[in-house]
Amino acid sequence: MLKKSLLLFVALALVFTFALSANGQKDSGKAAASQEKVKIIFTSWRTEDIDRMNRINAVYMKKHPNVEVVFQPINDNEYDAQMKAALETGTGADVIFLRSYDTGLSVYKGGSLAVLNDLIPAVNDFPSAAKKAWSTEDGKIYGVPFAGVTHGVYYHKDVFKKYGLQEPTTWDEFIKVAQTLKDNGEVVFAQGALDDWTCYEVVFSGVCTNWWGGEKARQALMAGKQKLTDPNWVSAFKAEDQLQQFFPKGYQALDYVSMQQMFGTGQAAMFMGGSWELGVFEDLGSGSEDIGWFPPPLVHKGDRMQYCFHVDSGIGLNKNSKHYQEALDYVRWTATPEFAELFMNELPGFFAYTPGKYNLKNPLAKEMIGVAANADLTVRAVWEKMSAQSPSGNSLMGEALTKMWKDELTPEQAAAYVQNGLATWYKPFQK
Amino acid sequence: MSIYRKQRWKPFMVLFILPAAAIYLIFLLLPIVDSLRLSFYSGSGFIPKEFVGLDNYVKLFTQFPFKQRLWNAFRNNIEFFLIVTVVQNVFGFFIAFLVTRKILGNHFFRKISFLPTTLSVLVVGFLFKLILNPSWGIFNKMLFAIGLSGIIQPWLGIPATALPALAVVVSWQFMGESVLFYTAGIDAISDEILEAARIDGANPFQELRHIIVPAIMPIIGIVTILIFIGDFTQFDIVYAMATTQANPAFATDLFGSLFYRATFSTPVRGGWGMGMGAAVSSIMFILVFSAVMIWLYFFKMKGETDE
Amino acid sequence: MNRLKVQKKFWEIILFVFLSLYALTILYPLLLMFLTSLKTTREIFTNPFGLPATFNITSYVKLLTISHYLKYFKNSIVVSLVSLTIIMFSASTASYILAKYDVKGRGALYLFFVAGLIIPIRLGTISIMRMMIGMHINNNLLSVIILSTAVGIPFGVFILTDFIKMIPEELSNAARIDGCTEPGIFRIVILPLLRPALAAVAIVNFIPVWNDFWFPLVLLKDDAVRTVPLATALLFGQYSTNYGLVFAVLSMASIPVIIIYLLFSRQFIKGLSSGALKG
Repeated sequence: MLKKSLLLFVALALVFTFALSANGQKDSGKAAASQEKVKIIFTSWRTEDIDRMNRINAVYMKKHPNVEVVFQPINDNEYDAQMKAALETGTGADVIFLRSYDTGLSVYKGGSLAVLNDLIPAVNDFPSAAKKAWSTEDGKIYGVPFAGVTHGVYYHKDVFKKYGLQEPTTWDEFIKVAQTLKDNGEVVFAQGALDDWTCYEVVFSGVCTNWWGGEKARQALMAGKQKLTDPNWVSAFKAEDQLQQFFPKGYQALDYVSMQQMFGTGQAAMFMGGSWELGVFEDLGSGSEDIGWFPPPLVHKGDRMQYCFHVDSGIGLNKNSKHYQEALDYVRWTATPEFAELFMNELPGFFAYTPGKYNLKNPLAKEMIGVAANADLTVRAVWEKMSAQSPSGNSLMGEALTKMWKDELTPEQAAAYVQNGLATWYKPFQK
Repeated sequence: MSIYRKQRWKPFMVLFILPAAAIYLIFLLLPIVDSLRLSFYSGSGFIPKEFVGLDNYVKLFTQFPFKQRLWNAFRNNIEFFLIVTVVQNVFGFFIAFLVTRKILGNHFFRKISFLPTTLSVLVVGFLFKLILNPSWGIFNKMLFAIGLSGIIQPWLGIPATALPALAVVVSWQFMGESVLFYTAGIDAISDEILEAARIDGANPFQELRHIIVPAIMPIIGIVTILIFIGDFTQFDIVYAMATTQANPAFATDLFGSLFYRATFSTPVRGGWGMGMGAAVSSIMFILVFSAVMIWLYFFKMKGETDE
Repeated sequence: MNRLKVQKKFWEIILFVFLSLYALTILYPLLLMFLTSLKTTREIFTNPFGLPATFNITSYVKLLTISHYLKYFKNSIVVSLVSLTIIMFSASTASYILAKYDVKGRGALYLFFVAGLIIPIRLGTISIMRMMIGMHINNNLLSVIILSTAVGIPFGVFILTDFIKMIPEELSNAARIDGCTEPGIFRIVILPLLRPALAAVAIVNFIPVWNDFWFPLVLLKDDAVRTVPLATALLFGQYSTNYGLVFAVLSMASIPVIIIYLLFSRQFIKGLSSGALKG
C-alpha cells in the first residue's frame, strides 16, 4: 500500500516531466531525420518590421529551400538585455542585430559572437567609420557593419501648402514656421516627452546637431576637452527647450507609438523623427507623396551642415548556433549588395554601408542620403564610450531632457545634470 | 490536542512530506538566501563572480545615481502602498458591509467585485494605458463629454498624477480581494450576536462600530500585509503602464521595476549589473521581512491579550 | 414606523445605486476591451464609445495568423495543469502527516511551509536563473512549472492541513481495524474526502499560475515556449499601432480566466475566504 501511493505520485511527476522533455526531443529529432528545413532565428529590436523583413527573407529562402529564416524581434526597450541573456545562457538567436559601439561590444565580450574578418572577407571592404562601430580596438569585426540611420523633420505637404510655408533651412526659420502653424491653430509637432530616448536620440542628437557642433564637438567631448556645460552644448539644450511651446496638449503623456500614430494619421503638421520611420508612416497612410522632410536646421545661413548619421545596426553571427553553417551563409548574404538593396527598398530610411551603387525608390530616403554628401557626419552625442557604464550618457540625457521639457529643469541645469552624472565614472570628465 | 502520544518519524511520513518540502525549499527559500549572498559579488558578465564585500551596498547608499534611484523607489513605493491601502481598505470594507446586507443583487455584486482580480495585472495595465492615452484615450473623452474638461490631465505623463494613476488601477483590480476578505469576516460573525444587538435597538451604525469593526480588526491586518508584500514587489503594472523606464523619468519607479531594470537592462537603458540587482532584492527582502515581523508582533500581542 | 420604513427604503435605493455604479466601473472597461477589439481602426477613432457597426473579427483572425497563439495557449494550459497537479498531490500528502501525526518538529514544519505564503519568490530571481541555467531548463516550460509549484505549495498545505484535521479520527480508526496501513488510510479514507478542498486549492492557485508574467519574462526566450501573458506583452509591443489587434490580444488573454472564474466562483470564494479567516 505504501509503495503504491508513493509510486503513483512519483510516476505522475515523472510522466509529466518526460512528456515535456520527450515533446522537445521529438521536435528536434524530426528535423534531423526527415531533412526538414533548418530554422534560423533572426532577432532585432525592430518589431515594426516583421512583414517587411519576412519579404526580404523570402528572397533568400527561395534560393535556399532547405533553410527557413524566422524573424523574431523583441521590443526596443527590452531588446539588449533579453538578447544578451538569451545568448549567454545558450538559447540565443542565430543571427543578431547589434547596436554600435559599446552595447554591441559587450555582447561580443560575452563570448557569443563569431569574428567575421576571415569568415566573410567582404566586411573588410566596408567604410572604416562603419567598421569601427562593430569591431574591437584591435580590429576584430564581430558584426557586418550594415546600416546607418539619420534624423530630421517630417511635415505634411498639404499643411505647409495651406499656409504658404517653405522648408526652413535655419533654426530661426524653423521656429517661424512653427509659430505660423501655431498661430493658425494647427497642432504643430506630434511630439511627446514620455519615452525619453526620443528627446535625446532624435531631437537632441539628430535635430539640434548644428547647435552642439557635430563630429568635432563630439570628439572633443569624448576626450574631455569640452564639457556639456560649455556654450555650444548648452545652446543645444536651449534650442531643444524652445520647441516645447509648440507641443500638443498632453504631450507629457504622449508615448512614442502615439506620436507616430498622430503624425502618420495626419493629426499634426510636423514630426521630428528618424529616417527609420518612413515605413511606419507609409503603413499609417502617409506615403512619400503626402509628406516632406528637411534636415536639421542650421544655426546661421551658409554654415556647413552637421548631420547625425548614426551607426545603427550591425549583423552578428552566434558562434554557438546549432545551425552554424546555415546561419553563416545567411550572414554572408547580408553583406552583399543584393541584400542591401532589398533592405533599403523594403525599409526606406535605413542606409546600408555595403559598398555598391544603389537605386533608392523612396524619394525621401534619397533626399536624406543626399544631404550626407555635403555635410560633416557624426553619431549620437554621448553614445560612444560615454554610455558604456551606469549611469550611462544615454539614460542621463533622456532623463534630463524629458525633465527639461516639463520645466522641472532649466537647460543649464539639464546640461549640468548629465555632465555631473557622467563625471561619476567617465575618466576624461574627472580631470 | 492530538489524541495520540508523540509519534516517531516513520519512513512513509518522510516520503509523504519530502516532495513538497524539497520543491519549496530548493526553488523558493534557497534562492532567496543565495541572492543575499550574490549581493556581495560583482562582475560584468551575466553571472557575478568577483567578491566585493559591501561595495554594492556602499554604492547603493552613497553614490549617484544609485542612491537617488533607491530613495526614489522607496518614496514612490510608500506612496503607492498608502494609496492602495487606503482605497482598498476603505472602499473594500464599505462594499463588503453593503453586500452582506439585504440589498437587491448583493450576490451579483459580490461575484462581480472579484472579476478584475482574476485578470493578469499586465492586461489590466495595458488596458488602462490605452484608456488613459492623451490623444484618443476614452477617459479624457468621457471627462470632456460630461463637462469636466477642466480636470483633464496627461495622467501618465506628469509625476504628480502618474504614480497615483497606477495605484488607483491596482486598487481597482485588487479591490475584490479586500471585499472578499471583509465579506468573509462579516459573514463569520454569528447571527445571534447581531440579532441580540438588533433587539437591543442598535442601529446599523452602532452595529458597525461595536460589533463588526472589532470583529474584523485582524482582517484589516491581513489585507494590509498582503497589500504591502504585493506592492513592494510590484512590477507588472509599471512594466505595462510606464515601461521598464518607469516613465515619466522614474516617477513611477517601484522596487520591483527598479530591481528588474537594474538586473536585466544594459547600462544604456539604466541597468546596473547582476550584483547590484541582487543588492536591491536584498533590500526588498529586508523591507518585506520587517513588515511581516511587525505585523506578527501586533497580531500575536492581540492574540495574547484576548486569551 | 412608516416614516422609518420610507427612510430605510430610501437608503436602500441609494446604496443600490452606489453598488451599481461600482459594478459599472468594473464591467465597462472590460466591455470596452471586447467591443473595441471588434472594431476597425477607423471606427476606434470615430466611434470610441458605441457598439461596433459590424462585428468585425478580422483582428482575431489576424492574431491567429501572425502569431502562434494556440501554441501559447497550449503552453499556458500545460504549465497550469502540471503545476496544479503536483501542488495537489505533494501538498495533500504533506498535509496528511502534519495534520494527523504528532511527530517531533511538526509545528516547526508547518510554520516552515506556511511562511511561504508571505515570502515573495521574485526576490530570489537571480539565483533561480542561475539554477535553471545550470539545469539547462531555463528556456523550458519545466522551469516555470517548478516555480509555480513552489509558490503554490504553501497555500495548499495551509488549506489542506486544516481540512484534514477536521476529518474525524473514527474513520481512520475503522480502516486501521480492517488492517489498512497508514499510507493506505490516506489513499482510501482521506483522499476521497479531500476533493472539495483540493478543488479550492486548484482554483485559487490557477489564477496566479495562469497570469504569471515575471518568470516567463525572465526565463523563457523562444517563441515555442511562450505563455499567454508573455505573448501578450510581446504582441502588444509589436503591433502597438494596430489598435484593433491590440485589444484583441488583451481580450484573448482575459476570456479564459473570466470564464473559469464565472464557472467556479463559488469554490473560488470559499477557498480564499477560509484562508482569510484563519490567517
